[in-house]
Amino acid sequence: MTDQLPRDGLVAVVKRDCPTCVLTAPVLGDLARNNGLTVYTQDDPSFPKTVPGRIDDTALGISHGLKIEIVPTLIRFEAGREVDRTYGWDRGEWQRLTGVAELGRDLPETRPGCGAKNIEPGVIERLKVRFNETGLKSRRIEIGEDEDEQEAMYARGWSDGLPLVPPTEERVLRMLDGTARDPQEVLGLVPPALTAATVEKIAVNAVMAGCKPEYLPVVLAAVEAVLDESFAMHGVLATTMFVGPVVVVNGPVRRRIGMNAKGNALGQGNRANAAIGRGLQLVIRNIGEGRPQEVDRATLGNPGKLTYCFAEDEEGSSWEPFSVERGLKPGQSAVTVFAGYGLQGIVDQTSRDPESLARSFAGSLRALSNVRQAPSCDALLVVCPEHHRTFRNAGWSKARLYEELYRLCEISGADLVAGAHGIAEGRRPSLAGKTVNKFRPGGIMIVRAGGDAGMFSGIIAGWSAGGPRSSLPVTKEVRN
Amino acid sequence: MADLEARGIPTVGVATTEFIEGAAAQAKSLGIDPALVFVPHPVQDRTDDELKKLADDHLAPILAMLVKG
Amino acid sequence: MTVLLDPTSERSPIIRPRLPRPERLDGLTIGILDIAKSRGDVFLHRLGERIGERGIVVKHYAKPTNTRVAPLPLRQQIAAEVNLVIEGLSD
Repeated sequence: MTDQLPRDGLVAVVKRDCPTCVLTAPVLGDLARNNGLTVYTQDDPSFPKTVPGRIDDTALGISHGLKIEIVPTLIRFEAGREVDRTYGWDRGEWQRLTGVAELGRDLPETRPGCGAKNIEPGVIERLKVRFNETGLKSRRIEIGEDEDEQEAMYARGWSDGLPLVPPTEERVLRMLDGTARDPQEVLGLVPPALTAATVEKIAVNAVMAGCKPEYLPVVLAAVEAVLDESFAMHGVLATTMFVGPVVVVNGPVRRRIGMNAKGNALGQGNRANAAIGRGLQLVIRNIGEGRPQEVDRATLGNPGKLTYCFAEDEEGSSWEPFSVERGLKPGQSAVTVFAGYGLQGIVDQTSRDPESLARSFAGSLRALSNVRQAPSCDALLVVCPEHHRTFRNAGWSKARLYEELYRLCEISGADLVAGAHGIAEGRRPSLAGKTVNKFRPGGIMIVRAGGDAGMFSGIIAGWSAGGPRSSLPVTKEVRN
Repeated sequence: MADLEARGIPTVGVATTEFIEGAAAQAKSLGIDPALVFVPHPVQDRTDDELKKLADDHLAPILAMLVKG
Repeated sequence: MTVLLDPTSERSPIIRPRLPRPERLDGLTIGILDIAKSRGDVFLHRLGERIGERGIVVKHYAKPTNTRVAPLPLRQQIAAEVNLVIEGLSD
């Protein structure tokens, strides 16, 4: 490329689709005739007519190499090196740089330039790939001409069962634009293989999941959270029980990227909800090598292991956002990961007062894992807006509801003892005279989500043997 | 062959030496590494006895591609 | 030709490896698939005889025509009935 440029002399880069370039066409003609100016055109090779010897740079290779950002750009070379450049039209600057007094006398004094074609979104990534300047470190996989891309990705084991977006270099570059973090920054080692999760590798999986670049910071925060030691990701993956990471998102990022906290928030249809949760699962599968019937020994698993991610409905809630309860400041965007599964529905269309509704909740909470088991798994209680309204109207804070639920989950030892009520599962007989709480302190967590109509809340149950000895929920700030 | 392997059935292909380059190109374009044994070309004009001898001579390498090691 | 970035830990080789083979052939069933090029049948039947002499079960199959891939029902049948396949004779 560089041997096309003059060793000594003037070079201009222009495009027809730029009024300032059109304005300077006569000046370019003069400079070409009298001062040896070489002109490269980015879009229309027939422009400018005033320079018959203009060079077609519609492939943008010269523009990319010269790092053009604005057109017109005027450059002076001496002894093969660039010594000066100016952009846009500025009569004084052009006269100084060319040494031609009286240049552009008939033109206005100045005119701003336009954005160059080579840095348009999409174009710059293609150019970086073409000139091998991506800086990407992941291994390149060539898909054979006769291979179908989808089948190729399935055959290599990259998929969770559903089709993937092929992670081309351009798509990964665009995804990395979604964060200011260095692509080679290591977030942690992903179990079970304990492979380093770089921002780049996570971006590759985020592309496959269907994420937009603006979702990447949320995926990164979720990965950071599951790699926190207290989440015990290896155990969460390897267990025979049902769980996978469930992601709850708080803060302004929810609105910015269009997440769903309302109707069908835990279901299908919202790209951000679905792709962020899926991106996290693909990271576990591909970077960590955590796969079913290998290290993942789940007996049944649960559909949430494809994706389980939703936003909390903070607006209009009388309760503080979940992230604030977890210690972050109001207004901070954050994710919380919780080892959980499924959804146990709580149908209560009749309770008019908070005490009665709390008893409905508690009845369902006490049945988690096994009615006979206490203490049992952690629980994420998702309260729908209509149920929340009952508590709000009665002036119940979240703390008040927690207090009530823990009290209602104290269970008589006699009901828990193995063999009681004809169920073999259960605790030792010495508990008979005592009470045991269904949950460890902090084992119940409450978020608000769901559509405005419908009196149906739900419980996302946790990992039995959950608590301080195994997996604890982790909250991380979403950083750009 | 790729289809049967995708269904979990280890497969070995037998082809004449004429097919060596074609097989390599096909494998590259499909991103696979198939197990292949080559017998001397041609086959079309051989007698039954010659073909049976070809089979006897290549039995061992063919079976070797179907077991570990 | 499409280039994709590898989303994995990169611990496995790029070309997709062949399926693992069994330790021994005893007790297994070998399918012999004739791709219907002329004279291949003589070769393949002889292979089948010699393998049968070793006490290994052999089943013979044939593509209806050389010019098209084996029909799906045939492939499914083979996959259901045998453990290993010898396919030939391409020239």
